[in-house]
Amino acid sequence: MSKFNKPFNYFVGINSLEEIATRESKVLVMNILGNESKNVTPISHIFSGGNIVAGVQYGRPGKIKTDLGEIPVYSRVAEASKQHFFDTGVIYLPPEAVFHAVTELCHYNAINLKKIVIVTEKLSVKDQRLIRAVAQANQIDVFGANCLGVADSWNRVRIGGALGGDKPDETLIKGSIAIHSNSGNFSTTIAEYLKTTGFGTSTIISSGKDVIIQFAVPEFLYAAQNDVRTKAVVLYIEPGGYYEKQALDLIQTGKLKFDKPIIACITGRWKSNLTRACGHAGALAGSGDDAITKEKWFDDYFETKPFSPENPEDVSTKGIRVVSIQHIPQAVKAVLAKCDKNTDFEPIGNLGLKPWFGNDFEKNLPLKLRIPTTQAIFPYNDEITKVNKELGTTFIKQNMRNKSGASKINDDTQVAELHRKPIVDLIEKSYEINIVFTLFKIFPQKEKEKFVSFILNYFGKPSNFEFEIIKKAYENKATPNQSLISALPISGNLSQNSKIKQNVSDLIEFIGELGIRNVNQEIDFEKAKSAAKEKFIQLTSDENPLTTFLFKMQKSCNFKSTFCSLLVNLAEENQNFMNFDFLTASIIVDLALESLILKRISRKNVIDSIDYFSLIAKTVFLSTINYQSNKKINEILQQTDLDLLTTSFTKVAYYSLFDEEPTSESLIEFSALLALTLTNGAGTISAKGAKESVSARNNLATIYAGYLSNTGLAHGGSGYEAIEYLLKSFEGTEIENPELNENEFSTLEIAKKSAKKFLSYKNAVKFSGEMSYERIPCINHPVFKGKKVNIDPREDYIRKYLEARNIKNVFWNFYHNLVEQLFNIGATKNTYCVNIDAVIAVISLKLMWKSFSNGKLTTENLQDIGFLIFLFGRTVGVSAEIIDHIERGTDMDCRTPQEELQFLS
Amino acid sequence: MQVTGMRYGKQMLDLADFPTPKVLFENATLEELDKMMKEQGKCVIKPIFYGGVGKKGKAGLVQIANSATDAFSAKRKLYFAQHFFHNRLIQANGVTFEEFIPSSYEIYFNLSVSTFSRKVNFTLTHHGGIDIEELGPDKLYEGTFDSITGLKTYHIVDALSHLNAPSEIISPLAQQLPKLWNLYNDFGFTMIEINPIRMKMINGRLVPIACDFKAQFDRDNKQYKRLNLPEEIFATELSQFEEEINQLRTHQGQSDVVVVNPFGTVTPFMFGGGANSAATEILSEKATISSDFGGNPPYEKMYEISKIVFKYWLKQTNVLLIIGGKANNTDIYVTFKGMFDALRDIISQSGKQDFYVVVGRGGPNLIKGMSYARDILDNFSIPYKFYGYDSSMVEVVQYASELDDWFISQKGELK
Repeated sequence: MSKFNKPFNYFVGINSLEEIATRESKVLVMNILGNESKNVTPISHIFSGGNIVAGVQYGRPGKIKTDLGEIPVYSRVAEASKQHFFDTGVIYLPPEAVFHAVTELCHYNAINLKKIVIVTEKLSVKDQRLIRAVAQANQIDVFGANCLGVADSWNRVRIGGALGGDKPDETLIKGSIAIHSNSGNFSTTIAEYLKTTGFGTSTIISSGKDVIIQFAVPEFLYAAQNDVRTKAVVLYIEPGGYYEKQALDLIQTGKLKFDKPIIACITGRWKSNLTRACGHAGALAGSGDDAITKEKWFDDYFETKPFSPENPEDVSTKGIRVVSIQHIPQAVKAVLAKCDKNTDFEPIGNLGLKPWFGNDFEKNLPLKLRIPTTQAIFPYNDEITKVNKELGTTFIKQNMRNKSGASKINDDTQVAELHRKPIVDLIEKSYEINIVFTLFKIFPQKEKEKFVSFILNYFGKPSNFEFEIIKKAYENKATPNQSLISALPISGNLSQNSKIKQNVSDLIEFIGELGIRNVNQEIDFEKAKSAAKEKFIQLTSDENPLTTFLFKMQKSCNFKSTFCSLLVNLAEENQNFMNFDFLTASIIVDLALESLILKRISRKNVIDSIDYFSLIAKTVFLSTINYQSNKKINEILQQTDLDLLTTSFTKVAYYSLFDEEPTSESLIEFSALLALTLTNGAGTISAKGAKESVSARNNLATIYAGYLSNTGLAHGGSGYEAIEYLLKSFEGTEIENPELNENEFSTLEIAKKSAKKFLSYKNAVKFSGEMSYERIPCINHPVFKGKKVNIDPREDYIRKYLEARNIKNVFWNFYHNLVEQLFNIGATKNTYCVNIDAVIAVISLKLMWKSFSNGKLTTENLQDIGFLIFLFGRTVGVSAEIIDHIERGTDMDCRTPQEELQFLS
Repeated sequence: MQVTGMRYGKQMLDLADFPTPKVLFENATLEELDKMMKEQGKCVIKPIFYGGVGKKGKAGLVQIANSATDAFSAKRKLYFAQHFFHNRLIQANGVTFEEFIPSSYEIYFNLSVSTFSRKVNFTLTHHGGIDIEELGPDKLYEGTFDSITGLKTYHIVDALSHLNAPSEIISPLAQQLPKLWNLYNDFGFTMIEINPIRMKMINGRLVPIACDFKAQFDRDNKQYKRLNLPEEIFATELSQFEEEINQLRTHQGQSDVVVVNPFGTVTPFMFGGGANSAATEILSEKATISSDFGGNPPYEKMYEISKIVFKYWLKQTNVLLIIGGKANNTDIYVTFKGMFDALRDIISQSGKQDFYVVVGRGGPNLIKGMSYARDILDNFSIPYKFYGYDSSMVEVVQYASELDDWFISQKGELK
């Protein structure tokens, strides 16, 4: 009840701060399911004893769950107001919709509505003044916009935004200080600071700092005066606006009776240099409302100098101005002491510098800057202990239908990138290194290739049954992808890898607990070993020759991380650590460690990686051409000669297709080919097959089947057409080995002949009135065109890379002569580029040439091998998309929204 | 976002059907100028500045010519004139030739939002043509009106009667001035000022003619776009860095930046208007930028913003400061992940590691965010100190400032 006449010539409904946020107030929240509200509203509801009666979400009725029960959500205010009594509206809508919402609330609930809290920021000044006009006409108090609402620590209520954050109990402690703050963040921060001198809060108002402040300082002081709980008020003020002057004038002219002390903090002197707002929209001063002028208003009112922590007794009973928010707690204490008023409780903590995390990295800082880290306050100390054990990142979940965090096509270069690396940079790496890069976003040292190959060769071994399926599929003329789709899903959920996964998980946790944050970090070995023995107490030696083999490999590795050295040391001393699953897990963790520490990948990614290694390798083994007669593949799969298990997986893939020992040159070409096909961006249908299967929450083997279902003869088809074209063009030539440069074998005449043939074909087709004709495959590109001589930079890069290694290719030479000749005879308007698909075709054909010439490979085999080379590369690249989508995506996020669908009759 | 002068002022006033003088631009031919001179006898030449630039008359940048030749000579002088305004040296780019309106009266009129009335106020005097601050309150009328019904004829008549204005100007002004309300209300203005309005005798009747124009727009009210003003007249207020960040401005999360000192050595990420005010003040010229990235920005936005900030400022940075109070709703993990992912990616390319990271922050997911940042910095061996909200924000900023002093002293010793 008002004790005084209101000194305002405008409507103010609130008489006392006690009335602003009460448990009796019933609240309706608009845009309750919006991003901000859906997190904040349930916390507010619980803190405030369940005061939110309903929400509105235009067109999306439903409910929102909280620990205090469900809040019903209506499609419009009209429906909500029929079902529920509410006197307070909270608006979370986008700025353009806020004024509409205010009028809607007034229209449908004019009788009961008393307050509106607007959280939305970036409201136009025009809407703010219209909101004021409508609210005044309807006699409603408005808080905001661009505010965090209001809170009452006595009533344990907060209305609107997130005052007190996600832990309001921590900040909103009952006390005698009322806060009115232009900054939402400082509303909470000041309340926190006040605890350090033993003060809690009565009411906190985050006023917002738009040009128009709806519930400003004059109204606040009026209501504070009438609030018996409030002994003093704290004002946090920024430049711009005359609200404070208006309030002080009202007091000084006696129109507003106010006798409680004010502690005012004005910031923003620097802002007088600005010609536009930075931060709060209204914090841009004119000539008479800048920070210095505002300071003077208060200094004149207090009739004393600003607060000095050195002389805390120099304060007035009317209050004091502080120059920095950190002085507020001391100033409040000093002013109230002068007024013979006590603190609310024993001080909690202090505001001194107390770093929770720190590392100077041997920087020789002066003594005063060397501040040791201290234990964080509760509950943050417990959280720190917990996170210190965690390695790796977590990704933010979102709809990933047309998004990828794994690959993209660079707009400038048109080169596909995987984990931000252009694929042309990957051609120099072996297949196995690129597999690790794909899974862990990091290149392992060259020496660790053999570890990777071991894992792939060992864990990729298909069962006899899987080979039987492949055999049957081939007998039925299945395509390579079709055969793989038949065989791979029977792996189920790869449960055979579960022990390794558990070991990986334990090892990551162990490294976290050790506090290793750098792969070469020095640690106390003895302490770590004793911790390991305790952590892995269940571990027993399995006396497996493979275990000894793995251990020796690890021991002889010259590039041991701290972690790896520790494990070798442990296994040497304690037989229990001679366990195959454990040592395999340690290799995996070692490969992923740097990336885990750098937060590039998640813990789950590393734990599951054994499944990816298995399935990728299985794809290769199951694709072996004539596998029963492929000696090398069979020797490896027998797993009797353990050294063979470290055979480079690039070679293994080569064996599976060509059943012969590659030369060093052909291995370079083969690796390059596999790298080139890794990805062509997440928009490819192969990637989409995988992403859609992830979206349906399949297990991994089925996801790979999903990807494979989205591949077909059209993939590599362009390459195959080029091979067919090359075979026709080179018909009758007697080339035994295509490893030839232009001097050794001139392709000029073949090119001239092919160009002429194309021109006469093109002219004939045009003459017959046909508009479309068959193009020569793998020349020209929609981006690399229009110049006199066009070059596809990707093709150019790889050609130069191979030329530098003296690797020659007669078919490649032909292609370059061909594009020149086509231009020379007028078949093309300029010299077309030889595109990236041609690279795949000419390298594939060169690799297959010998076997094809001697009849070992058939034309059908050529087609299969062309397709399989593509699959080998793409299976790896798609693995990155799978991991990415699993980490970031949500169930069913690949559904096409209804509005994008078209019905064609 | 401000506009001054008749280059675009005429365009806007024409839209409101408010009388304006004839205006020619820098590309006017001698014949056109001759014609203006013959009709009017004189013309006024003013330099064109983009943005809100005032006090041109006082700076001697407005000239009156009696002949086309004189006008051309003034054009040469004023075309690239330089003017010191708001501590900035600004250069003109062009001129206007405006019809000279002889008049016994100079009217001042202003429409702007008042934080006293929390409505739109109008200010009117017939003692205009001078700095309005120089007038006594008896010569100036300040009034307000209903925000919904707007400025009406009777408001003007009441005001002029209150000022005892000559009766011959009351009716013409009452007819014309309310038109400016329509312009103000429909096109996103927060302020329109015309000083002076001169009264031209046409067919025996005085007609108010706007002889200068000054306006301010609300960047949160997109109605201003309906005026089709070229974006560059506002863009000149922004540096390239600010312009890039501005592209990311949405209602979700703040992304306000201002370059403080292009040679600064502390790069601050400030969260919240309060932190912005406090930290900008303490760092002063040490800061490369002043910023406010609060308001719970989503990850992608924070990552992109950070990338731009690092691209422009990391190279010269001694101390990277992340400062805010105890966030209410900003997810610390999301924002830290955005910033430190961007930092990691930039450092992976640039290799820069000779800086110190100071954080002062509180809020949801604080420890998750801090530990995320800690792991990345540990791996690059970049030194850091992270303070929770139980350390004074101001002292954290001061600590960053002292660290910067130390870095500077070290570099000096190395030289």
